[in-house]
Amino acid sequence: MNLDDELRSALRRDNPSPDFARRVVAQAKFSAKPKKSMPRMMWAAAIAAILAVGFTAPYEYRQMKAERAASDAVLALRITAEKLNMTREKVLRIEN
Amino acid sequence: MRKLFLMILISGWTAAQLPAQLRITGLDGLASKAKESVDITLDSSLLQMAGGFLAGKGKDGKDGDQIRALLAGLKAITVKNYEFKETGQYRIEDLEPIRAQLRTPGWSKIVSDQSKDELSEIYTRVEQGKVVGFAIIDAEPKELTVVAIEGTIDLKDLSKLGALGVPAIRIPDKKGKQE
Repeated sequence: MNLDDELRSALRRDNPSPDFARRVVAQAKFSAKPKKSMPRMMWAAAIAAILAVGFTAPYEYRQMKAERAASDAVLALRITAEKLNMTREKVLRIEN
Repeated sequence: MRKLFLMILISGWTAAQLPAQLRITGLDGLASKAKESVDITLDSSLLQMAGGFLAGKGKDGKDGDQIRALLAGLKAITVKNYEFKETGQYRIEDLEPIRAQLRTPGWSKIVSDQSKDELSEIYTRVEQGKVVGFAIIDAEPKELTVVAIEGTIDLKDLSKLGALGVPAIRIPDKKGKQE
């Protein structure tokens, strides 16, 4: 078989299989479907989460600041009281 | 002296605005030399926040309320405390900028105890017959404390607080541990 015959054989028109048309139409329908977007519920959840963080973060920050201030205040008062009592004891010791 | 001291302790101190706040200066370099240091400055808004947070805290809520009552009349509090491993880490002269302010009119030294290497002083600032400020300087060989308070504070209650401690309220100690 020479080259011409081989090419002729390879490029010979063949009839498609019986369900070819159906498969092509099915594939075309599948490809034409628009991509699913993010479901609305997920968007709603994301927005709710952002809002929740937005509203609670300042409160949390304020709470942390208050807690820090409280522990500082207690420590400051404790040192002050300790030194006050110590000085008083010194004075009393000297007077006695 | 004893009568004077007791009189001050018994009386509740009422204070008005303190126009010239005592500035604690000249101690900046000591924190790096100290093995432990406390540097607390709270203004009126932070004190208000602290009071709100402490309300109802502690054993039966009493400790928190007691401290809250003490804080209620304060306008500002500054406490600097340095504990050193060895002696000679600071000089009494380092306190001179603070003591100079305490020698200005308005301030009165009510308690003073000075020895070779120790100094304890308590000052009050009086305006229009009312005590509007309070300061403590306590210098020991290995420890230095300076306290400046503006506003109303009942020293009798404060003194009790020192005796009782604040056991039921979880606060970090000087080393940052929780009690």
